[in-house]
Amino acid sequence: MPRKRLFWSVVVLLIMTLALTACPGQQATPTTAPPEEPTEAPAAPPTPTEAPMEQPTEAPEPTATPEPTATPEPMAEDRTGAWVDQVVFSALESDDQAIPRLEADDIDLYGGGLSDPEAFARVKENPDLTYVLSFGTYTELTFNPVLTFNDGRLNPFGDPQIREAMNWVVDRDYIVQEIYGGLARTKYLPITSAFPDYARYVDKVRELEARYSYDLERARQVITERMQALGAEMVDGKWTYNGEPVTIIFLIRTEDERTQIGDYVSNQLEELGFTVDRQYKTRTEASPIWYGSDPAEGQWSIYTGGWITTAVDRDQGSNFAFFYTNLGLPGPLWQAYENDPDFYDVAEKLANNEFNSMEERDQLFRQAMDYALQDSVRVWLADGVTFTTFSADLEVAYDLAGGVQGAVLWPYTLRWKDQVGGTVRWGQQGVLIEPWNPLGGSNWIYDTDVQRAIGEFATVPNPYTGLQLPNRIERAEVVAETGLPIRRTLDWVTLEFQDEITVPEDAWADWDAAEQRFVTVAEKFPDGATAKVKTVVYYPEDLFDKVKWHDGSPLSLGDFVINMILTFDRGKQESEIFDEAVVPSLESFLSVFKGVRIVSTDPLVIETYSDSYSLDAENTVSTWWPYYDQGQSPWHALAIGYLAEANGELAFTSDKSEAAGVEWMNYVSGPSLEILKKYLDQAMEDGFIPYEPTLSEYITADEAQARYENLANWYEEMGHFWVGTGPFYLSRVDTTAQVVVIDRNEEYPDLATKWAGFGEPKIADVEVDGPGQVTTGEEATFEIYVTFRDEPYPADEIETVKYLVFDDAGNLLVSGEAELVEDGMYEVILTGDDTQNIPAGAVKLEVAVTSKMVSVPSFGSFEFVAVAP
Amino acid sequence: MRLEEKRLGLDRPFVVRSFLFLRNALTLRLGFAERMVSDAGSRQVRLIILERLPTTLLLFGTADLLLFFLSVFVALVLSRQYGSFWDRVFVALSPTSAAPGWFYGIFLILIFASWLRILPFGDLVDVPPPESRVLYALSVLKHMILPTMAIILSAIFISVYSWRTFFLIYSSEDYVELARAKGLSGRTIERRYILRPTLPTIITSFALMVISLWTGAPIFETVFNWPGLGRTLFQAIGLFDIPVIVGSTVIFAYLLAITVFLLDILYALVDPRVRIGGGHKQ
Repeated sequence: MPRKRLFWSVVVLLIMTLALTACPGQQATPTTAPPEEPTEAPAAPPTPTEAPMEQPTEAPEPTATPEPTATPEPMAEDRTGAWVDQVVFSALESDDQAIPRLEADDIDLYGGGLSDPEAFARVKENPDLTYVLSFGTYTELTFNPVLTFNDGRLNPFGDPQIREAMNWVVDRDYIVQEIYGGLARTKYLPITSAFPDYARYVDKVRELEARYSYDLERARQVITERMQALGAEMVDGKWTYNGEPVTIIFLIRTEDERTQIGDYVSNQLEELGFTVDRQYKTRTEASPIWYGSDPAEGQWSIYTGGWITTAVDRDQGSNFAFFYTNLGLPGPLWQAYENDPDFYDVAEKLANNEFNSMEERDQLFRQAMDYALQDSVRVWLADGVTFTTFSADLEVAYDLAGGVQGAVLWPYTLRWKDQVGGTVRWGQQGVLIEPWNPLGGSNWIYDTDVQRAIGEFATVPNPYTGLQLPNRIERAEVVAETGLPIRRTLDWVTLEFQDEITVPEDAWADWDAAEQRFVTVAEKFPDGATAKVKTVVYYPEDLFDKVKWHDGSPLSLGDFVINMILTFDRGKQESEIFDEAVVPSLESFLSVFKGVRIVSTDPLVIETYSDSYSLDAENTVSTWWPYYDQGQSPWHALAIGYLAEANGELAFTSDKSEAAGVEWMNYVSGPSLEILKKYLDQAMEDGFIPYEPTLSEYITADEAQARYENLANWYEEMGHFWVGTGPFYLSRVDTTAQVVVIDRNEEYPDLATKWAGFGEPKIADVEVDGPGQVTTGEEATFEIYVTFRDEPYPADEIETVKYLVFDDAGNLLVSGEAELVEDGMYEVILTGDDTQNIPAGAVKLEVAVTSKMVSVPSFGSFEFVAVAP
Repeated sequence: MRLEEKRLGLDRPFVVRSFLFLRNALTLRLGFAERMVSDAGSRQVRLIILERLPTTLLLFGTADLLLFFLSVFVALVLSRQYGSFWDRVFVALSPTSAAPGWFYGIFLILIFASWLRILPFGDLVDVPPPESRVLYALSVLKHMILPTMAIILSAIFISVYSWRTFFLIYSSEDYVELARAKGLSGRTIERRYILRPTLPTIITSFALMVISLWTGAPIFETVFNWPGLGRTLFQAIGLFDIPVIVGSTVIFAYLLAITVFLLDILYALVDPRVRIGGGHKQ
């Protein structure tokens, strides 16, 4: 009897556990259609390092907003918003699972970038899979720059000449071919070979590549001289200092190719007589040592560094200050950097755009490249090529730096070929990594890629060039101080120059958190203020009728004004939601911000005055569109978060939640929801308008009431507070299964074809042809064929076609621009004077083609023999 | 500084502090995680652990029960067929139980998910998850097939081998011979005269096996992408999230303690000699 009872008890327990598990985490009963109709449009670029780009006045003729390549057949021309009906995100434990699960049709797309050459070969062989390439990752060797550690040990890498010699120690071709299996490009400088600056200064780059190419014997000579000068001795083939072996503590990352790189470099160092202590560590193990510890403690000597850029960076000038000087980061490693004062000056000027012409920038940039290699606190190794793989039946636009996951346009372009609708199963390494809230929530790519589909931006970056394109705005004007090297490329923005730009007295320059009102320019700058740049953004007349939040609330002016307020308020001590983690970024913003003014409310026109600008007018425009650091949000959803934080029950940022011992605010799941619901009820009851002294001018009591009711209905229906205006809405969050489902927003107003052109980046193919033998002193002509998919590349889409002539030692002999013959064909004519200086022997003609349609330059080369007459 | 010291309890002696920490750990007052958040977005260690516990219990509970009943059944059958082909097969395969469950899991995934494509690679549920709760539960069951098979495969041969040996030993006892001589049916002899006295030994060996299975949970759940406590511990170790590591360890300790506790109760049920107050009252 007791056995029977026990048996049945166990069975009941098992069934109950099963039932418990079967209750999906946060299951919002989905409805096919969101309440009302939103509009479409993307916005600001996620990452790119900002900076100037070209000459002030001589900007090239603006072109129409780019029309990418192939135009897919729209199956339903009246289809709005997204092409697919649903995207389901699920978490895979590791990248290794991606290909098998794609092959087994278990997922349709793997969002993360992969770099394993074997996996790449497997994808290429599989007709059911396809892939796209992106170029945003790069690896380097980070050196500890302290010469003598606190305990008296010698650190060879504290000596700049030894660091410089490390460039000759590493064979980058070996790394690219043998370790990356060809899925990378050699790298000598802190600029990416897929971005515009590389092509712009390709002649200098090639010169430095030749100067610093692999030469172990040269390295040995320099290192021997310097080690002896530092007091070290070679004993039995090993370097010693004060009788002890000179030991290099090498932190080697274990997650990717850096393990093999670390082993290879260790072998090279051992060959040079160093004793190497190889310490294999993961990110979390290595980070406290190389990034967190004082370099003088000598816990490490070299670290295998890796970096990623998730959007095309049109100006990499600030990279010198970031990677080589103490301007980069506040951590102890960066603060230990001591530079040649001239290098520091050049790097700082490039970072702050302190130049008055493109020529001046060119000069600074070329100097910085020389200094960077002489300093070499980092030795750059390879620009990685990563691939994103998915079903061959899918199409999607992708970012040349960030891949599919990093592309702002993926929600608008993801589709099944020749089909409208359907579900896409998207795998990635995780989802719902950290709490979601728009002001300080998760910034993991695995969360932001989902959030971007739910929200939208006022402008979106072209995934192939990084230039902003208008999405929700109609047009913009940029007025810059005369002499600034800003240029315009696209016709949606105008650019003009003025000698002085005066900021109007009634513009808002700051925020008084105690009185909850804006501080005007007249109050903040009694003597008046000027700005380097003024931007004016014009929204369409039907903006507030057309764009609606997913909960049905129409977009309103209050959504813009609260964005302006929140830019300042959380960094002010008098604020009810003061957060000291926000103070540094506010201070940095205020150091360049001069004022903002709403010129017109219908249609909405906003002027912004600032000392900060980009080299491209398109990327300089300030929109004030209500998309925050970590997602889009209407004012009424922010208001309940405001109440929760002000009452000490939740906090927007991780730092504050930790300090206050409260939950990190989460709009989509967890214990935050109940608290937010409580404040929603309270806000509804009180007719709460946040920042009432100011916002009550823009938000009526009726609007507030209607919005809170909409949000309450939304919460009841969906079970979360995440509301956007994008082409998808968040329909289900299953926290237990770690699955997020987003459904198409049927009310989205813009046509699905709007961004359909971004099918494939027009990366040019370059071929060079000409005589195999050239007599010095005589003219020689070479033809250059620039094509895309075997069709001539239109000349008006080409920015430059540069040629460079090198001798067999890699020295640059001649350079210039090729001449256009016809679409897709250019000519290089080496005159008698040019060839006169070419020494007899093998010579290489290299051609670099830069397109206006993509940031990635294309290269072609031709070798010939120069003979004496 | 002083306030912070007081808040963290650092103003008290080490011994007192240690006992306070122990009390907090035992009562699951584990504070906030340093880096991890729960699936629902909370940083409370208690919530991070508790939301993952049911899935671990479900998977391991189911697999362990199946393993137990299956092993007993097969062992009984083989004890009747001593020296037969299948008996020799099980004996020969018993060393394979030295490999952990996740090892078999990798092969099962390769065969059934990657090659034959008839079962999922892992995860808790299909993507997208079914909306109906019944279908959701069925989907969970489908996703449990491979991990359950892996657990069973990793332990069944050794348990069948050892238990069948126990049965053989007990089946040659005098009282069993007597029962046979009395003409009792084979089934009755098996249930009352062999299985019953063997159970305490079998349960003890099973409990030890369950404990060893628990210890493999971090890697096992990671292989199957199973959102359980083991994977949480695995992630916490990778992130050096001390509060979660401590919390998970405490929970595993509880699980082991509960296993031993249940074992004691089962002893009392199956073995009259250890039943308290089980004898005749005078």
